[in-house]
Amino acid sequence: MSTTTTTTPTVTEQQSTPTLEKGYIGQSIPRREDKRLVQGLGTFFDDMRRHGMGYVHFVRSPYGHAKIVSIDVSKALELDGVYGTITGDEVAIHTEPFFEMSVEPGANIKDYALAVGRVRHTGEPVAAVCAATRELARDAADLVEVEYDPLPVLVDAEESLKDETVLHDDAGSNVVWSGVFDWGDIDQALADADHVVKIERLHFHRFSSTPLECAGALVEYDKGTAEWTLHCNHQMPGVGAIWMAPALRTGIDKLRFVTQDIGGGFGNKICLHPQYVVLCLLARKLGRPVQWTEWRTDQHTANAHGNERTFLDIEVGVMADGTMTGFKVRALDDCGAFPRYEPLGCIIWAQVTPGLYGWRNIRVDFTQVCTNKSPVSPNRGYSRMQHLWLTERIADIVATELGIDPVEFRKKNYVKTEQMPYETPNGCVYDSGDYAAALDIALDLIDSGSIEDRRKEAAARGKLLGFGIGSTLDSGTNNFGQSTLLNPDLQFSGNNEAASVKLDIFGEVVVTLGTVPQGQGHETTAAQVVADILGCSPEQVNVRRGHDTWFNSHAGFSGTYASQFAFTGLGAVKGAAELVRAEMVQLAAAVLQAPEEAIELADGFARIKDGPEEAALPFMALGAIVNANNAFLPPDFNPTLNHRYVCRPYFGMVDTEKKTGQLTLTYATQIHAAVVEIDPETGVVDVVDYAAVDDCGIRINPQIVEGQVHGATTHALGAALSEEFVYDEEGTLLTSNFYDYHVPHALDMPPLKTGSMESPSPVAPLGAKGMGEGGGGGIHCVCAAIQDALGAAGKAIVYTSCNPPHRVWSMLQDPEATRANVSVVSK
Amino acid sequence: MGTPAPARSRAISLEVNGEAVEYEVPARRLLVHFIRDDLGLTGTHVGCDTGNCGACTVHVDGVSVKSCMLLAVQADGTRIATVEGLAADGELTALQRSFNEHHALQCGYCTPGMLMSATALLEQNPHPNEDEVRVALQGNICRCTGYVNIVEAVVAVGEGTS
Amino acid sequence: MLLREVDYARPATVEEAVSLLAAHEGARALAGGQTLVNVMKARAAAPDVLVDLVDLAELRTIGFSSDGLLEIGAMVTYTQLVGSSEVEVARPILAEVAATIADVQVRNRGTVGGNVCVSDPTNHLPPLLVVLDASFTIRGSGGERVVPADEFFVGVYMTAVGEGELLTKISVPPASDTGDGFSGVTIGKHGTYVVDAAATVSGEGARIAIGCVAATPVRATEMEERLAGGDFSEDAVREAAKGLGASLDPPSDVHGSADYRRSLAETSAVRAVLQAVERRKR
Ligand SMILES: Cc1cc2nc3c(=O)[nH]c(=O)nc-3n(C[C@H](O)[C@H](O)[C@H](O)COP(=O)(O)OP(=O)(O)OC[C@H]3O[C@@H](n4cnc5c(N)ncnc54)[C@H](O)[C@@H]3O)c2cc1C
Ligand code: FES
Ligand code: FES
Repeated sequence: MSTTTTTTPTVTEQQSTPTLEKGYIGQSIPRREDKRLVQGLGTFFDDMRRHGMGYVHFVRSPYGHAKIVSIDVSKALELDGVYGTITGDEVAIHTEPFFEMSVEPGANIKDYALAVGRVRHTGEPVAAVCAATRELARDAADLVEVEYDPLPVLVDAEESLKDETVLHDDAGSNVVWSGVFDWGDIDQALADADHVVKIERLHFHRFSSTPLECAGALVEYDKGTAEWTLHCNHQMPGVGAIWMAPALRTGIDKLRFVTQDIGGGFGNKICLHPQYVVLCLLARKLGRPVQWTEWRTDQHTANAHGNERTFLDIEVGVMADGTMTGFKVRALDDCGAFPRYEPLGCIIWAQVTPGLYGWRNIRVDFTQVCTNKSPVSPNRGYSRMQHLWLTERIADIVATELGIDPVEFRKKNYVKTEQMPYETPNGCVYDSGDYAAALDIALDLIDSGSIEDRRKEAAARGKLLGFGIGSTLDSGTNNFGQSTLLNPDLQFSGNNEAASVKLDIFGEVVVTLGTVPQGQGHETTAAQVVADILGCSPEQVNVRRGHDTWFNSHAGFSGTYASQFAFTGLGAVKGAAELVRAEMVQLAAAVLQAPEEAIELADGFARIKDGPEEAALPFMALGAIVNANNAFLPPDFNPTLNHRYVCRPYFGMVDTEKKTGQLTLTYATQIHAAVVEIDPETGVVDVVDYAAVDDCGIRINPQIVEGQVHGATTHALGAALSEEFVYDEEGTLLTSNFYDYHVPHALDMPPLKTGSMESPSPVAPLGAKGMGEGGGGGIHCVCAAIQDALGAAGKAIVYTSCNPPHRVWSMLQDPEATRANVSVVSK
Repeated sequence: MGTPAPARSRAISLEVNGEAVEYEVPARRLLVHFIRDDLGLTGTHVGCDTGNCGACTVHVDGVSVKSCMLLAVQADGTRIATVEGLAADGELTALQRSFNEHHALQCGYCTPGMLMSATALLEQNPHPNEDEVRVALQGNICRCTGYVNIVEAVVAVGEGTS
Repeated sequence: MLLREVDYARPATVEEAVSLLAAHEGARALAGGQTLVNVMKARAAAPDVLVDLVDLAELRTIGFSSDGLLEIGAMVTYTQLVGSSEVEVARPILAEVAATIADVQVRNRGTVGGNVCVSDPTNHLPPLLVVLDASFTIRGSGGERVVPADEFFVGVYMTAVGEGELLTKISVPPASDTGDGFSGVTIGKHGTYVVDAAATVSGEGARIAIGCVAATPVRATEMEERLAGGDFSEDAVREAAKGLGASLDPPSDVHGSADYRRSLAETSAVRAVLQAVERRKR
C-alpha cells in the first residue's frame, strides 16, 4: 500500500507567478482516455487497415560489422504476393543522408535509411520487402540473398577510441564529438581539498525503457499532391519531419504525421526516421499503402538503446568537514553505430551538472564514440540519469571511504532550500525545492531509524541488509540552444509548444494539442486546465486524441519528451483557453449589456455575477452566435472563439564560450530510498522496502503524477537489477528478448511507498514542473543499498549500474577487485 | 474414418465473444493475427515475439492463454473471449471501472491483456489478495505503471470497494 | 513472429497420431505449443507437419496404476497438475514446482509431456523427474516401451522419444518415507532457472539432480554417496556438497559464468536436500 505525506514548503522568497485558483487543477480526476482503452477500443497504429495495403519486412544484418558485397532480391520478387523490394543502393539514389548535428568528425557521418555498402550493427536493415500478408513478407525476406564480408567489430568504447578500426570512413574517426566543460577552478579546488577521493572507473550500462508497443507506421502516398501521410507512433513528429523532409528531398508540408493512441514511448520512439523513410519510399515506389510493425527482437537489436557511459579518472575534492568542493571526470559515451539524436546527449546532462550538490568546481572531459551496437535514442531520464548516477555514486563512495553517514553527508552537501533559486556553476537555475526535507520524508517512509535492527535481524537469517538513497532531479523543458554548445553553427534555440482551443456551435469545447501523448494522460490534464479557465466541467471539454500535424496546431519542437508537458504543453493550453475566455467574456458582456468585469464564466454559463438567473448565456449560445448567427455583431467586433497559442518559454541565449546558460527551466526533485537484502551465497538481491518522494511543484492531477513515479521507479529497478543489453565480441546482442532482457513483472516488484511535497515552480505557467522521467532514482538508491549491504562482506564498491545476481556474487567473491578502483589521498 | 490428412489450411468454426465464426485459415496463422487481422478485433495486442508479455491474452474455453502461442487452427471448436467482449452490452465491468478509478493504465497497451488475466482470476477467485493478484498477473508485462495501481484495482473489485 | 508454411493434422486417437508422425518425415507432435510455436515463430524450427495432440483425451488424465504409481498423461497441463488431488496426495512437489513454471497463461497450456520432450536444460521438470525416479511410456508404431528417467533425457532437445513416436505418460512412485526439495536461482521471480537442483531423501539416502549445467540433468552422484549414511544434518549436507561444482562443466552466458553456476549448483543442491529433509520430517 502506498502512503502519501504532503508537505508544502513556503515559497515566500520566490517571485511567484500568478497561478490559477485550484478548481479541477490539483484533483485526481479519473482519466478521460481510459474508457476506450479498457474496452480495447483504443486505436494504435497497427490497428489501421487500408485497402490494398502491403506489409513490410526488413532484411537485417546478422553481422555486427561487415561490408555488403551483394544483395540479390530476385528470388523474393518471384514469390507470389510480393509487391516489391528496396535496397540500400536505391535509398542512396533517392534520398540524402540524414542531417547530422555534430561538428567534425561526427558531422561527416553518412546515415541513410538503409545500410549502404556496409552494415555497422547487428539487426541493421539492409533491404525491405513488401507483400500482401505479414507472413509472405517474411517468407520473401528470407529469400533475399545478401553476401557479407565481415569486418573487425567494436563493442567497447575504449577500444573504439583508438580508431584502429573506423566505422565511418567519411568521418575518419569513431569520435562523434568531444569537448571539455570547465566551470570554476577544479585544479585549485583539488589542491585546497583536505581529501581527494579518486575513482578510476564507473560504468553506466545500456538498457532502454522498451515500451510495450513496438515502433511502426502505416504510410500512404498521394501521387497527385506528392504528400505522405504517416499513421504512426512517432513521439516527436516535429523533429522527425526535420530529419525526414530534407532526406526525402521535400518540404515538411508534404509529411503528415498522425498519431492516435501510442503504447508507450519513453524517448524510444524519437529516432524512427530511418525506417519511416524506407516506408515512404516504398509507398511511392509501389503506389500502395504500406505498413510495418517492428518486432520486439528488432526493437531490442536495432532501434533505440539508452546511452552507455563510462566515467574515468574521477577525482573529488572534499574538505575536512565533509563538504565536497568539486570533481573532475572523463566521460566516454557510447552512442552505438549512428549518432541520430546524438550528440545531444553530450550536453543534456549539463542541465544537472552538480546534481543536488553544492559543488562549484567541475570539469567534465566528454567524448562520444560510435561502436558496432544498436544506435541510441533518448531514453527516460535521457543523459541526465547517467550523470546523476555518477554524482550519486560519488556521494556514496566518498561518504563510505571517509566514514561519514551517507544521509548526513547528503544533507551537508545538498543545495539548501534557502539558496533557491540556485544558479549552478554552469548557469542553470534550480527553480525551487527542498532536498533535505524531501529526504526526511523518504527516511520516514522506510522507517530509517530501524535499519540497524533490521540489519541484525536479516543477518540472523543469513542475509546481508543494506540501505541506500538516490537523489535526483528531473529537469524539464529543454532549451534547444544547448545544442549550440556542441555545434555553434546549429540553428536551434529555445523551445515552443502549441495548442488550440475552440468553442463550437453547440457549446462544445474542443482542444487540440501539439504534444503527442503516449500514456501521460494529456487528454485529462488539459481538460482540467481548460475547465478551470472556461468555468465548465472537464467532461464538457473534448481534448482530441493524439496528434495530426495537419489539423493540430503544432510547433517546431512539438512532442512529448523532456518532461515538459506541464510547462509548455499545458502552458499552451492555458494560453489558448485564456484567449477564448477573453472573447467569451466580451461576447457575453455585449449580449447581456453589462460591463466585462461583471461577467463570470461558471458552470458552463457566461453570466452576470450575482445577477438575475436569466442574465446567463450557456456556452451553446456563445458558440452559436459566433459560428452561425453573427449578423447582429458590430463590424469591428469579430470574435472567433477559436485560438491557437504557442507557449515559448524564455531562456535567454547560451554562452558558447563558457558553455553556460539556462539549459532547462524547471527541476522536479526525486528522493528514493531502498532497503535490500542480499543472499550472500547466490548474490540474489531482494528489494524489501522502498520509498519514492517526488516534488514536482503544483500537481495538476496527483494520481497521474503518482502513476508516473511508479512507472519511472519500475524502469529504474529493472535497470538496476536485470535489464541490460549485453553484446558478445562479434557484436551479437545476447539479450534480444524478454527472456534474457528481464523486465520487472508484478511478482518482481517490491511494495512501493510514495510521498510527495509541492514546491511550486516560480517560473512555470501553472507552478507545475515537468516530471515523469525521473532521474533514475531507483538505480542510484539500489546501487547504494547494495554497496551498503556488501559493507559487511568485504566492502565491495558498486561500480556498475546494473547488478544482477551473478555480478553481486562476483563482488562477494572478490571485493578487492572493485576496491582497487578507489583511493583516498588525505592531507 | 481414416487418419485425417495434414493440410495447409483448415476450415475452423468457433465462437468469438458469443458469436459464431467460420473461417478458412492457413495452418501457420497465429491466433492473435487471426483475431486482429481477420476478425478485426484489434483490442488484443502484440507486445513481443516470444510469449513473454501477455498483451495478447484472451480466453479460450474460459481459460486465459497467450494468443500469440496458439495457431488459429488450434482454436477450432473453441469458445474465445477477447477484451471487446467484456463490456459487450456497453456497460463497463466492475474491473474495467476499477482500472479507471485506480489509474491502472497509462498508455493502455497492456490493458486488454491485463483485464483478461484479471477477469480469469476473479472468475476463479472472486476475492483475491494482493499476492494472489500478483501471481495471476505475472505473465502480463506493463512498462508504464509499475503494477501498483493495477494490483490495487483488481483487489478492490474483490473487496467490493470498486 | 511469423511461421513458415506448415501442414496441420488433428488425430482423434493415439494410434492415428503415431501413424501420422511415422508417415510424414519432418512431422512433430504439437502439445501445448508453449515452446514449439515460439521456436517456429523464430523459424528456429520449421516442421513440415504438426500433429496436434489436443483431442487425445486419454493423454489428459492423472491417475494411479494397478501397482500404485502416479500416472500423469503427457497432455496434462501444469494447471491440471497444480489442481490435482492425486498429485497432492502422492507427490505434492510436482504441483509445487509446476506452480512456478512461467505464468498462469503458460501453465494453462503447457504440458508435462511437452516440458520433458523439449528437454530444454533450463526446464523445471527434467531434474525433478530424475530424482523422483519417474518412468516414461513411449508409444510407436511397433508398440509401447518404458524408459527410466536416467535414460530418457539424451541431449538438448533430444530424448528417448524417437521419430514417429509419442510420449504417452509419465509414472512417478508415490512418496513413502521420502521428502522432496527443489531450489535454485531464477531470472526474476518464477522465472527461468540459471541453475536448479532437485532432491529426494529417504532413509537410504538421497537422489540429487542439477539442472541448467549440462545438456541434461546431472546426478550429483558423489554427493549422493556421501549422504548414503543417512546423516542429513546441515553440516553433513554442506560437507557432502563440496566439490560438486568442480565436477561440473556448466555453460557461461549473460546470466552467469561457469564459476557462478558451479557455486550455485552446490548451494542449490544443499538447499534442495535440506528442504527435502525438512519435508520428510513432516
Ligand atoms: C514465457 C515462457 C516462459 C517459460 N519458462 C519456463 C520455465 O521457466 N521452465 C520450464 O520448464 N518451462 C518454461 N517454459 C516452457 C513451457 O514449460 C513449455 O510449455 C514446455 O517447454 C513445452 O510444453 P508444451 O506442452 O508447450 O509443448 P510443445 O511446445 O507443444 O512441444 C515441445 C516439444 O515437445 C514435443 N512433444 C510435446 N509433447 C510430446 C509428446 N507427448 N510426445 C512426443 N513429443 C512431444 C513437441 O513435438 C515439441 O518438439 C516457458 C514458456 C514460455 C512461453
Ligand atoms: S504478444 Fe503474446 S505474449 Fe507477447
Ligand atoms: S499501461 Fe502502458 S504498458 Fe501498461
